Amino acid sequence: MSYVLCPEIPEPGFSFENCKRNALLESKGFTTPKAIKTGTTIVGIVYKDGVILGADTRATEDTTVADKNCEKIHFLAPNMYCCGAGTAADTEMTTQMVAAQLELHKLYTNREARVATANQLLKQYLFSYQGYIGAALILGGVDIEGPHLHMIYPHGSSVDLPYATMGSGSLAAISVFELGWKPEMGEEEGIQLVRNAIAAGIFNDLGSGSNVDVCIIRKGVVDYRRTYDEANKKGVRQGSYKFPRGATAVLSTKVVDVEEVSVTPVEAERMDVAAF
Amino acid sequence: MSILAYNGGAMVAMKGENCVAIAADRRFGIQAQTVATNFEKVFEMGPHLFVGLPGLATDTQTVMEKLRFRKNLYELKENRRISPKVFAAMISNMLYEKRFGPFFVEPVVAGLAPDTFEPYICNMDLIGCLNEPSDFVVGGTASAQLYGMCESLWEPNLAPDDLFETISQALINAFDRDAISGWGATVYIVEKDKVTIRNLKTRMD
Amino acid sequence: MSSERYSFSLTTFSPSGKLVQIEYALAAVAAGAPSVGIKASNGVVIATENKHKSILYDEHSVHKVEMITKHIGMVYSGMGPDYRLLVKQARKMAQQYYLVYKEPIPTVQLVQRVATVMQEYTQSGGVRPFGVSLLICGWDNNRPYLFQCDPSGAYFAWKATAMGKNYVNGKTFLEKRYSEELELDDAVHTAILTLKESFEGQMTADNIEVGICDPQGFRRFDPSTVKDFLANIP
Repeated sequence: MSYVLCPEIPEPGFSFENCKRNALLESKGFTTPKAIKTGTTIVGIVYKDGVILGADTRATEDTTVADKNCEKIHFLAPNMYCCGAGTAADTEMTTQMVAAQLELHKLYTNREARVATANQLLKQYLFSYQGYIGAALILGGVDIEGPHLHMIYPHGSSVDLPYATMGSGSLAAISVFELGWKPEMGEEEGIQLVRNAIAAGIFNDLGSGSNVDVCIIRKGVVDYRRTYDEANKKGVRQGSYKFPRGATAVLSTKVVDVEEVSVTPVEAERMDVAAF
Repeated sequence: MSILAYNGGAMVAMKGENCVAIAADRRFGIQAQTVATNFEKVFEMGPHLFVGLPGLATDTQTVMEKLRFRKNLYELKENRRISPKVFAAMISNMLYEKRFGPFFVEPVVAGLAPDTFEPYICNMDLIGCLNEPSDFVVGGTASAQLYGMCESLWEPNLAPDDLFETISQALINAFDRDAISGWGATVYIVEKDKVTIRNLKTRMD
Repeated sequence: MSSERYSFSLTTFSPSGKLVQIEYALAAVAAGAPSVGIKASNGVVIATENKHKSILYDEHSVHKVEMITKHIGMVYSGMGPDYRLLVKQARKMAQQYYLVYKEPIPTVQLVQRVATVMQEYTQSGGVRPFGVSLLICGWDNNRPYLFQCDPSGAYFAWKATAMGKNYVNGKTFLEKRYSEELELDDAVHTAILTLKESFEGQMTADNIEVGICDPQGFRRFDPSTVKDFLANIP
C-alpha cells in the first residue's frame, strides 16, 4: 500500500537494512547480543468442559532474570489463548499479529474463529521463516467443534494433544501430567494439575520461575487468573536502605517548569447545510 | 565481546509517588578508551516523556532520531501528545521490524501519562520485547550491578526527593563496579509540574 | 513498468477546472440508496435502506451496515462492490493501527486514512474514483463521532446528515428534527423517520438496516430490534 501518494503508510514485513553492517561487526569479533528468552514452562490440558492453559512468569536474558512477572499467556481471540515460549519478542509479536488476523477473519465471516484456523495461521507463518522466528507455542481454545489444544514448534510443525508442555521446563511439567492427567477431568482438579505442572517447572528448571498464571477456557467464558499462585513470596524487608536527602553530591541543577497546557474552547459551528 | 559493550553506558529508571526518574552515566568510550564525559543517552520526547537508549552509541543517536521523527509525525497527525505507553509500543514495533538485523540499543522509557499523570516506566531488549514492571528498569553494561542495587534500594511510594537519592545512589554504586560506564551522571526527576535535571559528582576513573 | 507509461489517471481536469469524474461519482452516490446518520448525546446511529427488487431475494445475508472494529461502524450510499473494498481496507487499517500503538484507532484517524485511500483513486493511473460516499460512526474519547467520506477524499464531521437518493429532503427533515439533547433511542427513531420520508412502499425490518455505536461499542440491530422501533412509527 505504500505508494507515491501516501508514503507515510509503511512497508509491511521485516526490514533487513542493518544486516550487512551487523554481519561486518560480527566478523570483527563483536558478537550480536542475545535477545530476551522466556526460558519458560508452559502447559495446557483438555478437561471436561474446555481447556486450561498455564505458564510461569520469568523472562531471562542469558542468566539474568529480566522480568520477574511477565505475561506468557497471550490473547488470540475471545475464545482462544496461546502460551508462548522461546524468544520473548517473537512470541509476543507473532501472537499479536495472528490475533489481528483472527479478528479480521471474524469480521469477514461473521463467525467466531476456530482454533484450527489459528493453528494454521501460526504454523504457516512460522514455517515460512524456517524456525528463525523462535516461537514455541501451546494454543488452546473452545469453538463450535469443542475444546482443542495444539502444540506448535518454531519450525512450523504442530500436533494436537489432550495435554501438552513446552519450554525449558517442559520435562518437569510433563512428568506431572503423565502421572496425574486423566480424560474428562473436573475443573478444580484440572487447575490443580496445571498448577502442579508449572510449579514443577518453576522449582526444577532454572529458566522458569516466579508465579503461576492460569487461563481456563470454557464454552463462551474465559477465566484468566493472572498470578493464580505465587510460588515464591518475597520476604518482607525489615529495614529501609533509604538514603538521607542530600546524600548525593550534585554538580548542577536545572529545573524546567512544565506549564499547564491552556485549552481554548472552540465555539461549536453551525451545522453545515449547504450542498457541497 | 558483545557489541552492546563497545561504548559502555548505564541506564536506570524508577517509579515513585506521582513521579518517575530516569538516570544515565555520561561516558562515551571506544572500548577501554574514554573519548568524552558529556555524552547524553537520555532524550526528551515531550514535557513528561523521556527515553534512554543505552547500547552502541551510533545506534543510540540513529534510533533517537528515528523515534523523534515518528513521535513528531504522530503528534502532528493526531493533534495530541503521545502517551508513554503508546510511545513504548511504537519503539517496540520499530525495533521488531528489524528483528533479523537489529539496532544495538536496549531502550528505557520513563514518563507520566499526558492526561492522568500516571507514572510509567518500561524497558525492552534490542528486538523490542516490552517489559513493564511496577518498580524499576535498567539497561546498559552495568545492568547486572544495577539490578542488585535497585532490588535492595528501591521501595514503593518514594517522594521526588527520596527518589532522586535512591536512583542516584543505585546508579553511582552500580557503575563504580563497571569499568566502561560512569564518569559523571545525569538524573531526571519528572513530576506533574516540573522536571528537575541534576548532574552528579562521581568518581572520574 | 512499460504498461505504466499509458496508465494515466482517468480523473483529469476539464478546461473549466472541474474534475468531472468526481462529479459523476457523486452523481452515482446521489442515485444510490439513501442512508442517514445522527449523533445523539449518548451514542450515534447510522441507518440505510436495503430494498430488494425481487421477493426471491434472501434478506439478512448480505449487509450494508458493517462493523470496522469494536467501536467503529460504517454504511454507504452508492455502489456496493466499491464499498466492500473500502470496508476491507478500513478493517485492515484499524488492526494495523492497533498493532503499532496498542491502542484502538481513534475514529478521526480511521476516517482520515480511508479518505486518503479514496483520494488516491482520484489521482492514480488506471483506476476510477470510488462510487460511494461513506458514513462512519464511532465512539472514542468519551464522545460520539459521525463522519461522511466522499469519492473525492473530502470528509465532513456531522451532527446529523443524509446521503444518497433524496438527500436534500433528508437533510431538510433532519434540520427540523435535530436537537443537541437527543438521546440514542430518539435518534434511532428520527433516523428511521428520515428514511421513511423518501421510502417507496412499505418499510419493514427486512428492508432497512440500522447500526448504533455507544460506549459499549458498535453493533448492527437484528431484524427483531428494528421491528420494535418500527412499531413506534406511525
